[in-house]
Amino acid sequence: MTPARGSRPGVRPSRALPGARVAAALVAPVWRTLPWRTLGAAAAVGLLVVGAGRAVGAGPVETLYGLRGAGLALALGVAFLLDDPARHTTAPVPVRRAVRTLLRAALVTPVAGLWWAAVLLLVPGTVRPPAGDLTLETGTALVLALAGAAVAVRYGDAPEPGRSVAAALLGTAVLAPLLLPGHWALFVPPNDPGWTAAHERWARLLTGAAALCAASLHERGPHGQSRSVTSPCGTSGPSRTS
Amino acid sequence: MTTVSAAVTVSASGLTLRYGATRALDDVSLRLGRGVTGLLGPNGAGKTTLLRVLATSVPAASGAFTVLGHDPASAHGRQEVRRALGYLPQTPGFHPDFTPFEFVDYVAILKELTDRAARHREVRRVLDEVGLAEVRGKRIKKLSGGMRQRVALAAALVGDPGFLVLDEPTVGLDPEQRMRFRELIAQAGEGRTVLLSTHQTEDVAMLCHRVLVMAGGRVRFDGTPAELAARAAGRVWRSTARDPGAKAGWRTGTGGYRNVGDPPEGADLLEPTLEDGYLLTLDGDRGDRGDRGDRGDHGDRAEATA
Repeated sequence: MTPARGSRPGVRPSRALPGARVAAALVAPVWRTLPWRTLGAAAAVGLLVVGAGRAVGAGPVETLYGLRGAGLALALGVAFLLDDPARHTTAPVPVRRAVRTLLRAALVTPVAGLWWAAVLLLVPGTVRPPAGDLTLETGTALVLALAGAAVAVRYGDAPEPGRSVAAALLGTAVLAPLLLPGHWALFVPPNDPGWTAAHERWARLLTGAAALCAASLHERGPHGQSRSVTSPCGTSGPSRTS
Repeated sequence: MTTVSAAVTVSASGLTLRYGATRALDDVSLRLGRGVTGLLGPNGAGKTTLLRVLATSVPAASGAFTVLGHDPASAHGRQEVRRALGYLPQTPGFHPDFTPFEFVDYVAILKELTDRAARHREVRRVLDEVGLAEVRGKRIKKLSGGMRQRVALAAALVGDPGFLVLDEPTVGLDPEQRMRFRELIAQAGEGRTVLLSTHQTEDVAMLCHRVLVMAGGRVRFDGTPAELAARAAGRVWRSTARDPGAKAGWRTGTGGYRNVGDPPEGADLLEPTLEDGYLLTLDGDRGDRGDRGDRGDHGDRAEATA
């Protein structure tokens, strides 16, 4: 009888292994799996928008919308953050999906922070809107994009849901100013008396998006089937229903 | 054929899962031991769903299962099942800029092998095992389809899992690659529990000590390949023209016709193959007669055969 597998000396990990060691070992490969080209293109578009505003001597209102456009551009790039062509190959592993998701977010955050600082510095101080409030808006857009991607991964089967998430985010960004009632307005100019109230709403939105993202990191248990599941990616699956 | 053990290593009962109105799994129960078990079935039979449920990749709506004594009902149990698992999905995806070594190393970290030296030894071992030692530094995007399948198999094998789930690993491979893959699967089945989903009855005949046939989300047959072939005993015959009474019939290379179904009197009977038994099982007209593992209402949902 051939000996049972799964007990090769020196191969099996220590059960008391700290998660930090796994996360540290994952930094380099996860860094390489990030969609840097997409993020780079989004960041470049943002810089171009703000740079063009500076070049033509845009006023405060145009600059504000330029900065919001730049934030949206990066958020559209972040929508691709959880795209993973190897998703199905690496799905049933002991390291939780949440670890990889958080690691991806953690690796991108400092880069995004530097980019945002560069974007703000590109704007002349005379026309620059309140930087803290604008940072809140951009941060919320980025977290919303990440939450959308996390929801798509949690409830969907596609290895690369970035396009759908980005399309949904773009649609929301276009429709929100048109459809939101006045007392829920988010996109107000700095001289508007509702600026402070609008940014309280941004903060609540940020909290909600962060909570949604955190909830989506939780993996489904053995009987945790959602209502809108799709068939597996196998050739043989029955018709997809969503 | 691989070493077979009677000890149950994977056991499932009442697994059920719906996709909208479709029952992908309908009260599926099974018990697996060591060695390679084949899983046959037509498109939409529920094979991939069953594999993904057992791999803890997709949760079942109801039912329970254990893998090597671990119950994935709890988060801790699920982690333990995943520690014991190697999974090769039907369409394995890769990070194309990774080399086979880097990709399998990445999967090894995801399997909690954090000691760098030991992990690299293990990665080299599995790449050697699947015959990729020569190209371990080449980018995956530059490898052939067969080599990519072997990268996926190496990723499944890394960490020496006790339960290996392989979803149609030989699909799209040329005959030589398929033979090579069969050797690898047979080797992998030694001392392990391997569940192999396939459309290739030859794979099952050559590799498996046991075969399950699924259709309509249910297990329609559970037995040995010889028992499955025996279902067609006396029901395969040769004729000079296609027999209109046959369930399936095709012209062979020698010009005659091979028919499967209910033969006419005095028919020139042929030795049945595993495929004949499989076709008749799906057709369902022989249903429940004396074969262990049938789960009732045989045939009313079985898919068209030939």
